[in-house]
Amino acid sequence: MSETVDLQKAYAQSRVGEVLDQLETELIGLKPVKARVAELAALLLVDRVRRDLGLVSALPTLHMVFTGNPGTGKTTVAMRMAEILRRLGCIRSNHLIAVTRDDLVGQYIGHTAPKTKEILKKAMGGVLFIDEAYYLHRPENERDYGQEAIEILLQVMENKRDDLVVILAGYAGRMETFFASNPGFRSRIAHHIEFPDYAIDELMAIASVLLAAQDYRFSDAAESAFRRYVEARMRQPYFANARSVRNALDRARLRHAVRLFAERGRTLTMDDLVTIGPEEILASRVFAAVAAA
Amino acid sequence: MRVTQGTFSFLPDLTDEQIATQVAYCLRQSWAVNIEYTDKPHPRNTYWEMWGQPMFDLRDPAGVMLELAACRKAHGDGYVRLSAFDASHGWESLRLSFIVNRPAEEPGFAVERNEVDGRRIDYTLHRRA
Amino acid sequence: MNHQPQRSAADRYKAGVMQYKDMGYFDLDYQPKDTDILCCFRITPQDGVDPEEAAAAVAGESSTATWTVVWTDRLTACEKYRARCYRIDPVPGNPAQVFAYIAYDLDLFEPGSIVNLSASIIGNVFGFKPLKALRLEDMRLPVAYVKTFDGPATGIVVERERLDKFGRPLLGATVKPKLGLSGRNYGRVVYEALKGGLDFTKDDENINSQPFMHWRDRFLYCMEAVKRAEAATGEVKGTYLNVSAGDMEQMYERAEFAKSLGSVIVMIDLVIGYTAIQSMSKWARRNDIVLHLHRAGHSTYTRQKSHGVSFRVIAKWMRLAGVDHIHAGTVVGKLEGDPHTTKGYYDICREGHNPLALENGLFFEQRWASMRKVMPVASGGIHAGQMHQLLTLLGEDCVLQFGGGTIGHPDGIAAGAAANRVALEAMIFARNEGRDIMTEGPDILERAARYCRPLAQALLVWKDVTFDYTSTDTPDFVPTATVS
Repeated sequence: MSETVDLQKAYAQSRVGEVLDQLETELIGLKPVKARVAELAALLLVDRVRRDLGLVSALPTLHMVFTGNPGTGKTTVAMRMAEILRRLGCIRSNHLIAVTRDDLVGQYIGHTAPKTKEILKKAMGGVLFIDEAYYLHRPENERDYGQEAIEILLQVMENKRDDLVVILAGYAGRMETFFASNPGFRSRIAHHIEFPDYAIDELMAIASVLLAAQDYRFSDAAESAFRRYVEARMRQPYFANARSVRNALDRARLRHAVRLFAERGRTLTMDDLVTIGPEEILASRVFAAVAAA
Repeated sequence: MRVTQGTFSFLPDLTDEQIATQVAYCLRQSWAVNIEYTDKPHPRNTYWEMWGQPMFDLRDPAGVMLELAACRKAHGDGYVRLSAFDASHGWESLRLSFIVNRPAEEPGFAVERNEVDGRRIDYTLHRRA
Repeated sequence: MNHQPQRSAADRYKAGVMQYKDMGYFDLDYQPKDTDILCCFRITPQDGVDPEEAAAAVAGESSTATWTVVWTDRLTACEKYRARCYRIDPVPGNPAQVFAYIAYDLDLFEPGSIVNLSASIIGNVFGFKPLKALRLEDMRLPVAYVKTFDGPATGIVVERERLDKFGRPLLGATVKPKLGLSGRNYGRVVYEALKGGLDFTKDDENINSQPFMHWRDRFLYCMEAVKRAEAATGEVKGTYLNVSAGDMEQMYERAEFAKSLGSVIVMIDLVIGYTAIQSMSKWARRNDIVLHLHRAGHSTYTRQKSHGVSFRVIAKWMRLAGVDHIHAGTVVGKLEGDPHTTKGYYDICREGHNPLALENGLFFEQRWASMRKVMPVASGGIHAGQMHQLLTLLGEDCVLQFGGGTIGHPDGIAAGAAANRVALEAMIFARNEGRDIMTEGPDILERAARYCRPLAQALLVWKDVTFDYTSTDTPDFVPTATVS
């Protein structure tokens, strides 16, 4: 074989680098995830180049599973992945349809198949993202129609690989259990990305980005209070990473507004309007729980 | 005989690939695509049977081709057509409609004449067996 | 609303001859109301006549003035009825002419009457001696006025639904030879053309009822042909039966007969007059029949740039009057039609809203208030080899008429019809796929010709036919950043 391949050129032409850069700037931290996405991109690019040369004729399997706690960026990465897949010619369009079990499963006999098919038709040509996919399987309830949706999905994942990419997402443990009871999925999924929890520094960075976007900032005291808040919150159940940070900031903003309103007798400065103070953070129940413990 | 209703009836029968390009065109205009079938192709028969509802919000022809394949399986011995609805102001009607399946034999129509007053004739079209 | 400093009433109405400018017909500060009818005239004053005075005179003579002051004016609220020239622009490249914009109060006009509109605006002023030449370029009809008309009896959308034909231009052909065929032979042409693949055939504008063919015979034979063609193809077919006649009573008689035979469409000529056209539109609407208008005679007054009425004004009047088809030019055929001005005509027929577009000859923004759309008809010297140009220039919602291009086909009329239909469908198919049909057109036709022998022959016979002459009626403005 005397043909040569310019991989750099192929990479530049695909413009996948732009999407990886976009991922780098818009998501804080997530180093292992970004590395994994870059790995996958490299694999798909080389795969494509090899196929163009006639080396491989079989269709690659592109279905994926993303595991991790909520608020770790799974949906965002899925959307960027759809764009990467499109730029590498693996799928026709970059649209992503995000669903949960309730979008796929019906409430009575005969309801599920058309419901699932509708979703599939909308997703075709692009990516179907199923969040908390394991809820499709409810063996304890004999009147559950989730199994029908599972059957249809498995069929489509096998037979329509050039029309649709499926990404399942959810907690790692539960996903493992789900695959154990529905082994068909494991054989159809080619790639697995784990989404670790954010570190405390990363969460603090996310907080300041979110605040700045709304023209707020922490006072120094508030910042250190917030750090302690997050550390405490992380140890409590149902911590949803970036989402929990955002919710906490919303509550802080509310308390900030209440405080200013109470002080409306005096003249307020721009600084007052923009700065979140420590009292907004320390009022949280999280600290009460810590104190009680 | 060949019933030449629809936009592309004078071209050779369309392949699935060709049908998909026309569906892609419809989706690009944000039209809803509809599949209908019938065994009664009289020119004034407006209402063919609907195969499912018009498909709104699709981004890719694959979904339509899936339904078309299913419709052909069930009604491949008759006529099947694809049409596209435009809901925008000033149209609110079909913008494209073409036949994608026909029966192997098309008997066609004959003209029935009823002579009425003077030399006037009332015409009816009816299907040949 | 403000005006130039007015003289006192005593001064204004003193007997004698006054400058039109001083009588209130020229006011550059006047702000046209939303309910005013606006006109743009191209004025060529006689040598030595001040253009502003000429503009004021046009405003005056098309509204309330006469050449001398009259006391009876003071019995009226004449301020209201005076037309005003509110703007004057030079004509690019022509120092002898100006564009004068004149506003008319809504009360000057009878609701729902094109006769009144035309008599008011063009009834008097065009022979005025101080003008060397005068052309009515465009009119802005306010929504308040548009709403007094019913508009097209059928309209593009409903016509398509009745014919069950979507997504492509309709195809027609005028029966040829122009004159002399008997009813029976005429019907043969109709049958062959419709069976072969056209949607419509057409009576010519002067086919009414002559010694060589009486109208009833034509109608009977034509409908026989139409019904036979419907059976042969399974499609809805039609032929434009010309019901134009010497008086209205005869017209109604012919139209009723056409309806009783089951025709989907009838045809009238522009020369029947605006009153007759509106009556026929009402009739067509009542009887669910499409109304085709041939613009017979228009080029006597629409063609020269300096004098007459622009066709775009006629097109607006006809949309209001309520026709469903109007001949509007082909650009590439044998009759006059520059591409930009023709686009202006087509937009007037088909759009719900015409923005200001001087490069297409549209001097005003025009809103149509959801009035139905007229299908423009392209007829005259076009053939299948031009299909890519026709589709690109004229769009999908029009009727393409290939008279000679069908009937003159070496293998016969049905073959000619099939050639046109295949060329059209192939071109539409390619356009939908996303191909650049202006560049790839000839290739697309050549490929289609491989499976359609009639098309191959048509391309051979007519491939070198073009009609390239300099247009007499081109736009004055070319699109540049400075044109507003």
